[in-house]
Amino acid sequence: MDVHKGEVVVIIGPSGSGKSTLLRCINRLEEYDAGRIVVDGIPLDSAQNISAVRREIGIVFQSFNLFAHLTAMENLTLAQRVVRKRSRGESEKIALELLTKVGIPDKARAYPIQLSGGQQQRVAIARALAMNPKIMLFDEPTSALDPEMIKEVLDVMLALASEGMTMVVVSHEMGFARAAAKRIILIDEGQIIEEDTPEKLFASRHERTRQFLSKVLHM
Amino acid sequence: MEGQPKPRSSRSKLFYIPGAESFTRMDPWWGLVVLVVGLAVTLVTVKADPFLRILLFVRDGVAVTAFITVAAFMFTLVLGMIGGLGRLSQNWVIHGIATLYVEIVRGIPLLVQLIWWYFAFPVVIQGIGRWLNFTAMANYQSNAIFTAVTGLTICYGAYMSEIYRAGIQSIPKGQGEAARSLGMTHFQSMRHVVLPQAVRVVLPPVGNEFIALLKDSCLVSVVAVADLTRRGREFMAVHFNPIEVWTMVALLYLVMTLFLARLVSWVEKKTHFER
Repeated sequence: MDVHKGEVVVIIGPSGSGKSTLLRCINRLEEYDAGRIVVDGIPLDSAQNISAVRREIGIVFQSFNLFAHLTAMENLTLAQRVVRKRSRGESEKIALELLTKVGIPDKARAYPIQLSGGQQQRVAIARALAMNPKIMLFDEPTSALDPEMIKEVLDVMLALASEGMTMVVVSHEMGFARAAAKRIILIDEGQIIEEDTPEKLFASRHERTRQFLSKVLHM
Repeated sequence: MEGQPKPRSSRSKLFYIPGAESFTRMDPWWGLVVLVVGLAVTLVTVKADPFLRILLFVRDGVAVTAFITVAAFMFTLVLGMIGGLGRLSQNWVIHGIATLYVEIVRGIPLLVQLIWWYFAFPVVIQGIGRWLNFTAMANYQSNAIFTAVTGLTICYGAYMSEIYRAGIQSIPKGQGEAARSLGMTHFQSMRHVVLPQAVRVVLPPVGNEFIALLKDSCLVSVVAVADLTRRGREFMAVHFNPIEVWTMVALLYLVMTLFLARLVSWVEKKTHFER
């Protein structure tokens, strides 16, 4: 599987197929037993300093994982200061810009418990972007959200895609896949079943693909 | 949870997090304090002999008890953190040492440990000193207060390690994962993300240990430390009035633990936050 700069790749598949695990292998949150992963020219298993590699990879989790004891602003500035060694002023400026970009600059001083799910996820996206990563990974970003909040998060992701960010997204949101994905990859039981552009995949003749799509596409 | 709670001054911002309760002025604790202090004051004024004499005699013991408790507690906090992190370590050597420490220390009664530190440990040191021809060690004499603080620290440190370990493990794994995904090292993620949250989680049991330590400090009276209990015994040995002496000593311990419990409760409320 290859992902090129600026590409948006969406990974779909049934539960337990290994999509999230695959994504988490990319920044080595999961260890893998066989094969190779190379990120930006750096092979992961021989990487001396995995933290240095992870700086360039942003990830957004299904359960947001915002730091509960810090405000939204502090969530964004912590890693900037500790990892990228930026000054407080600089990191706060960047943080505020990003919070504005995701649409909630007024919530800068709020704690995660005070935010709705959609707002928390947008802060999480901003937090990942604050590190200026080269690639963004999304692990079912909208699966834990109430339906009315899914759109606000998908809008942010669409904006990001149109700006040319390299994205690998694991999601069930077919609308998003159709709109933004360069390629969709269908995974089942740890194997890649099919990999194609959205138009070709949704019209596919492949048996397992049609089976899966018929379950997922409600329309 | 909607609505922005108003933060207090920026100085208390360190502790202000939504969900932190403000403590009420009138509650059952005040009633108990009034009762106990009132009883003590009544006894001392109405029956000054012997109660006032007892109070004046044991008051330096109160200072010693307070000092030992606070000193041991401070060291225990540090030792507990080290032990807790050691118990969670991936490095099997560190994990092994920490586990050995916790299991052994938790398996021996505190009194026995204190006695061992005071009587047996110096003999060991002197023996090693003679064997190595190191005169400073060979002439080692135990210092009562130092031994007491060491013994208490090592014993309570083991229990504190388990408390810290449980606290750290209670923080959702996602927090650490998010931190490390942003590029933080394991140490950085502990220091900035996991431990600040774990510390708040363990405050109730740690406060508990502080109060227990205050009461267990009376055991050092057995190893030549002139704490409150020992001073009470000394007075009683001369004047033979156990009821008055031990009532007074018990009241003094109670006053100390009540204030300590209140302090712990205040710190808990100030730093509690909802996730």
